[in-house]
Amino acid sequence: MQDKQFMKEMLTEGAHAYKEGRMDRRSFLALCGASGVALSSVMAGDAEAAADHVVMWNWGGQSEECHGSAIGDAFTASTGKGLKFDTSGPLEGKIKEMVDSGNVTADVADADLFNAVSLGPTGHLEPIDYSVVSKDKTLPGYALEYGVSVILYGYAFVYDTEAYGDNPPQSWADFFDTAKFPGMRSLYKWANGSLEAALMADGVAGDALYPLDMDRALAKIKSIKDDSLYWGSGSEAHSMCVNGEVTMGMIWQNRGRNIENDTDGRFKLVNNQAMAMPGAYIVPKGNPAGAAVMQFIATAQEVPAQLALLDCLGMTPSNPAAFGEIPEDQQDYAITSAKNIDKIVYNDPEWWGKNGGDAVNAFLEAIS
Amino acid sequence: MPDLANTGSLQIRDVSKMFGTFQAVDGVTLDIEKGEFLTLLGPSGSGKTTLLMMIAGFLDITNGDIALDGSSITDVPAEKRNFGMVFQGYALFPHMSVRDNIGYALSVRKRPAPEIKARVDEMLDLVQLQEFADRKPTQLSGGQQQRVALARALCFAPPVLLLDEPLGALDKKLRVEVQEQLKDIHRRVGTTFIYVTHDQEEALSMSDRIVIMRDGAIEQVGTPKELYERPATKFAASFLGKSNFIRQGGKTFALRPEKIDLRTDHGGDARASGSIRSITYFGSMQRIIVDTEQGDEIEVDIDVWRNQEILSEGAAVDLLWQDAAAVELKDN
Amino acid sequence: MHALRKHLHPGWLIIAPLLVLVLALYLGPILNILWLSITDPEPGFGNYAKLGESDALVRIIWTTVRICIITTIFSVTLGYSIAYAMVHCHQRQKNYMLTLLLVSFWISILVRTFSWLMLLGRKGLVNVALEDIGLIVEPIAFMRNELGVLIGMIHYMIPYAVLPLLVSMQAIDHRVMDASRNLGATGSQTFWRIYLPLTTPGLVASTLLVFILSLGFYVTPAVLGGGKVLMVAEYISVQLLVTLKWGTAAMLAALMLFGVLAMLWIMSRFMKLSTVFGGAAR
Repeated sequence: MQDKQFMKEMLTEGAHAYKEGRMDRRSFLALCGASGVALSSVMAGDAEAAADHVVMWNWGGQSEECHGSAIGDAFTASTGKGLKFDTSGPLEGKIKEMVDSGNVTADVADADLFNAVSLGPTGHLEPIDYSVVSKDKTLPGYALEYGVSVILYGYAFVYDTEAYGDNPPQSWADFFDTAKFPGMRSLYKWANGSLEAALMADGVAGDALYPLDMDRALAKIKSIKDDSLYWGSGSEAHSMCVNGEVTMGMIWQNRGRNIENDTDGRFKLVNNQAMAMPGAYIVPKGNPAGAAVMQFIATAQEVPAQLALLDCLGMTPSNPAAFGEIPEDQQDYAITSAKNIDKIVYNDPEWWGKNGGDAVNAFLEAIS
Repeated sequence: MPDLANTGSLQIRDVSKMFGTFQAVDGVTLDIEKGEFLTLLGPSGSGKTTLLMMIAGFLDITNGDIALDGSSITDVPAEKRNFGMVFQGYALFPHMSVRDNIGYALSVRKRPAPEIKARVDEMLDLVQLQEFADRKPTQLSGGQQQRVALARALCFAPPVLLLDEPLGALDKKLRVEVQEQLKDIHRRVGTTFIYVTHDQEEALSMSDRIVIMRDGAIEQVGTPKELYERPATKFAASFLGKSNFIRQGGKTFALRPEKIDLRTDHGGDARASGSIRSITYFGSMQRIIVDTEQGDEIEVDIDVWRNQEILSEGAAVDLLWQDAAAVELKDN
Repeated sequence: MHALRKHLHPGWLIIAPLLVLVLALYLGPILNILWLSITDPEPGFGNYAKLGESDALVRIIWTTVRICIITTIFSVTLGYSIAYAMVHCHQRQKNYMLTLLLVSFWISILVRTFSWLMLLGRKGLVNVALEDIGLIVEPIAFMRNELGVLIGMIHYMIPYAVLPLLVSMQAIDHRVMDASRNLGATGSQTFWRIYLPLTTPGLVASTLLVFILSLGFYVTPAVLGGGKVLMVAEYISVQLLVTLKWGTAAMLAALMLFGVLAMLWIMSRFMKLSTVFGGAAR
């Protein structure tokens, strides 16, 4: 995975050198040959750096297709610029590495809003241009200097209807109550959402979570450690439920819908006390397309794009103007739908941006 | 230690070995006396090593029986036969010192340490390797390794010692020296030695008896002198030493080259006459090839100081030998 | 210059550019890591001091070492029997076994890891079968714990353990074993006193290889450990990618490097490492 990334970067670099005449054709071809990559694919990669399009850095898979149809098409129609993808996953460390290395190849990263808090002040991000992007087209508090929330995803949970029958779990308190609801559960391994769920289970009100009381949260997490598994990716969380390894699982709410489908309704999603997570677009410092990327972000904020992302990816709109237009069949699953919006709590990106690293380590240390 | 005076005779009865459809050893019957130095001699593929491996117990016998002092050992596994063996290439234990190599057989028999030490010292004396006791085999010369292998195989006083081409890896000069030592050791320990080689000189100089093998079967058995003086077959005559073959009256005779004399005075006792084709000088003797008038080619070995004046290529000569020198062969 | 020419084989000149390149490519990143470990987030030995302050770090390292040791013991022991069987069976069977061994190198670690879940998970083939025939009531927890990690790692490591042993066993002169039998040693005496010592270099090579490779394991513990078995490699990756504590990551990487070097040094006190890494057995 990382090797591939390195190879790609080396070749992209090589393609630059070749185009600018610093490397002769033969050496460049030799470089391509040595790394087993077809010339055409690298030249395409090289094109990522030109300014007639923006490069979106996301996690690939379905999101590549959905971002293209939901935002890219409208963006191209209005600006004439294309949309390309780098699907290697914009983890915080990778963004930092890309900017520090001076070889910035992405314009916008599909990341978390707390990344904007941690990477912005250290000089790794471009500020959002709020003359182009609108602060009103997202939830209050989710338009920050270095990033703006474009969608919401949520931490909810699913449970096995056959295990709990007529008296199913309804809240995080139930989720953490192994006496009343025996069985294995699964939690998110990177702390996010798990800590908040633990505090709510311990009686903290949803609007009084921050700053997180780490000791209290970890004590609660540890109290069900013997009955817990921890997942690191959506597919892992999915398989833990589908393969019957757990009877309750914390889950991203859009994944929850897939699990309901894949188990023919045996597993059921609970959105009560779901934690709304602001997914954000952030711009690596020195991005190749420059200011043009702001137009792209603005496009993503528009109601049609918001609804298209919901339809395609199950990501919930963060633009309040779209809330009322959430279709009937998404009411149960979109966390800002009329049906759910009063039951949810909101993540604080400021706290996570400043304390996230220590919180993740403390969480890992507590569960291992 | 077992009393070697009463043990060490082997009775091999109609022993055969098949490898698939290949008959490696074919009905060998042989009695070996205790304390004897017996050599199995033959070209490669003659079955001599296979026979030795069956005696050692590393190969199963397809047919027949092998007995030690009259009691069958056919079903006794190799590790229970108590036969010493010197392997081709020696097969010393590379990770052990010379002392540990030699003491191995006693050590696996769980003998007390002082006894092992005393016996190993005795063996080191026997093969004159006292000062090398703590070296590893790789730090020794080929001849020294050979002696370690011998000492290791003799350390537990086996009734029978099997030697599989033990001198094959040594150069010629060293080989002659080691032959002497081996004979000396054989005399001193009194163990039955069964020795496999394809080197006829080695066989002649060391053995009490030689078994010439051919295609898995015994060609001829006898003392070195018997075999050399009275070979029974063409194969035996030519494998052990050199021989001329002459035909007279429908019979074939073997005639050793050194038993023929050359003359130019045309006495009435000449057996054949002809002319010298070539003369080859060997230092201690010279080999002369004569084309006879009968159309045969006869080799003659004579001392270099004799007949100097008449010996030149193309010279006409008469050949003489005594009646007893020509040995009638069984296979015409 | 003259003196230098006397000591330097001219061949060195030819490979010098390559040698410099290799050194730069290897040493550069290593030095970078060492540098990072004493400069990020601030200059000093603060990252190393964490080892004394944080029970958690020590626990993660201990978990890693413990799992690696157990993995090594089982992989090498099983690998030894497999290599032994391969060397001593017929050529045809040996070829089959070698093919199977090599094929296992081509199967992705992810596929192998998830296969274990299919086989030994709570609703896996084995548990379901055992429940169906009434042997167990509750599924046995093979997976999503340390046992699961060990099963997955040992399975992955066995082929690596086999190869050096195979080479070492094939190099043994079989007559040495015949000699031992001929001198009256039983099968087990021959094994313990001759065969095992002669395969020791292969055993050491195999042990080092498996242990060092195990130290870097990431995917298997992450998946089969159910999130509860945290090993150093995964922790480093989290520090690099998620929590941005690159100094801590560099410190742990440096620690692993020093650990491995220390291990090699200790080994070198007991035996010539050249015999372990492909040198002749005697």
